[in-house]
Amino acid sequence: MTQKTPKSARAFADRRLPALLLMTPGGILLTAVTLVPLAVMIWMAFTDYNRRSLFTGAYDMVGFDNFIGILTNEEFWWSFIRTILFTAALVIGSLLIGVAISHLMTRLGSKMRILVTIVLVFTWAMPNVAASLVWNWLFQPGYGVFNWILTQLRVFGDMTNTDWGSNTGLAFTSIWLLVVWQAVPFLAMTIYAAETQVSPEYKEAARIDGASERRIYFNVTLPFLQPTILLVTILSVIWDFNVFNQIWLVSHGGPDGTTATLGVFTYITAFVSFDLGTGAALALITALLLAGLTSVYIRHLIRSGEDDL
Amino acid sequence: MSTNTATKTRRRKLGRPSPIANTIALVFCILWAFPIYWMVKTAFTKRSDALNATPQFFPTDPTLDNFHTALFQAGFFENLRSSVIVVAGAVAFAIVAGLFASAALSRFRFSGRRTILVIILLIQMIPGGATLIPQYFVFNATGLLGTYFGLILAYVSATLPFSIWMMRSFFLALPRELEEAAQLDGASTWQVLTKILFPLVLPGVLATSVFTFMNAWNDYLIAYTFMKDQSMYTLPVWLASFSSPITGTDVSGQMAASVLFSLPVVVLFTILQRKLVTGMTGGAVKG
Repeated sequence: MTQKTPKSARAFADRRLPALLLMTPGGILLTAVTLVPLAVMIWMAFTDYNRRSLFTGAYDMVGFDNFIGILTNEEFWWSFIRTILFTAALVIGSLLIGVAISHLMTRLGSKMRILVTIVLVFTWAMPNVAASLVWNWLFQPGYGVFNWILTQLRVFGDMTNTDWGSNTGLAFTSIWLLVVWQAVPFLAMTIYAAETQVSPEYKEAARIDGASERRIYFNVTLPFLQPTILLVTILSVIWDFNVFNQIWLVSHGGPDGTTATLGVFTYITAFVSFDLGTGAALALITALLLAGLTSVYIRHLIRSGEDDL
Repeated sequence: MSTNTATKTRRRKLGRPSPIANTIALVFCILWAFPIYWMVKTAFTKRSDALNATPQFFPTDPTLDNFHTALFQAGFFENLRSSVIVVAGAVAFAIVAGLFASAALSRFRFSGRRTILVIILLIQMIPGGATLIPQYFVFNATGLLGTYFGLILAYVSATLPFSIWMMRSFFLALPRELEEAAQLDGASTWQVLTKILFPLVLPGVLATSVFTFMNAWNDYLIAYTFMKDQSMYTLPVWLASFSSPITGTDVSGQMAASVLFSLPVVVLFTILQRKLVTGMTGGAVKG
């Protein structure tokens, strides 16, 4: 904002002591619970800190050994590829459905729109631990209702006793459905909020010129939605890259670690094998990877953090 | 909710309603609501009926027994207590510290302000799983591992940056003339803050509280990793390990427990949904 500020207001905004006092509690907390741990993480990545160290406090500095160990570990590369592919599948799936539902909502009568909104809000609000348990029940071998429905369709044969967790493809399919199910509401409602802001004059003008509804959508509405879609895509990349609970509670990363994404692989390294040094190195690598993937967004954030009062 | 004219202008802005769209929307609603329906339905179904080769799509003989089972399952009240303690603690810390910090970062100018804002934004980008490992180390070293206070701090770490960012967007929406006018009337800095600014951002504080509440209430990973004593587990950990000691997993009981666990979140979220959406995107889209 560049409007002229009268002297008295400037005096308020420039009072140093109140500003400092107000910043203190948050500053102390952020430093103690986030910044210090982050520094510790970088240090830990160069140590062999493990279960024994937790009790005795003994550890060694090992230089880049953890990183070399990770980069030469086939498991790491597989979970890396898995994470990228799974993230892409999740982002694309939830985004397509989200955009479609958003546009659908603009074409509904008011009662139907309220119904869709209620369904979206309820799905959105479901805690993911509860949702994961519901998923396990829907896909439970023997009694799961999805297995029953799929069997009735007579397309896939008898799936009554299919154990979704014991097959990599099936496990990923059910987790994909779960994450997409939970991700669509935020996407649909955010994009819908933007879509209601499209100026009706533009659409009207295009309509008078004889453009079809499809062309109006692709040439008028979609370009208008582009910034919003870009933003939610980046947020989706961050969230989907970090999906943990759903994988952990549905497949536990199995069978044989074949559904372990980087997050699950890191967790198992750090808290099941208790190799905290390697875990910290993995976390560091993951954070850098994510930063690389979203560097456009980070640059945008830094710029927006720089705009004035 | 909205007045007649508002609905009319809205209708004009959007496309024309079509029967095909309504049909597709109905199919979508059925598909999307089904898992929730199935959870609630199972919660009211007798255990023996839930485990039936042919599923019953409508409960024929609804029962409340499963809720009774869930409530009196070992650990429920203990773990509910843990959840209440850590959630209340996390919300209190994040809101008080966040409100003050966001006031400083929106209504005052001081050197380092931009740096702090950029740091807050960057912290938000760091995956929660990454801070878990060093926090485990720090809490272990300071004796906070496995304590409620340690867990509260972990939740504050997860929510404070976003809380500051969200409340800041509410502060920024207030006109600068407020301080000028109050100052002309001779109000002190503290009075300007507590009598004028804080009450005006109350909706933002509420929305941020719900966000913080949901974050701490729903967390499974941190509590599962940091807490050692079963009686100090929080509800999500209890829920995930819910099973009957005699016959293994009791699906009906587990679904009833899931309903009970989700209910407060769904209610709060529904009430404050609109504000939450504005706050979240307002903070993110800005600039």
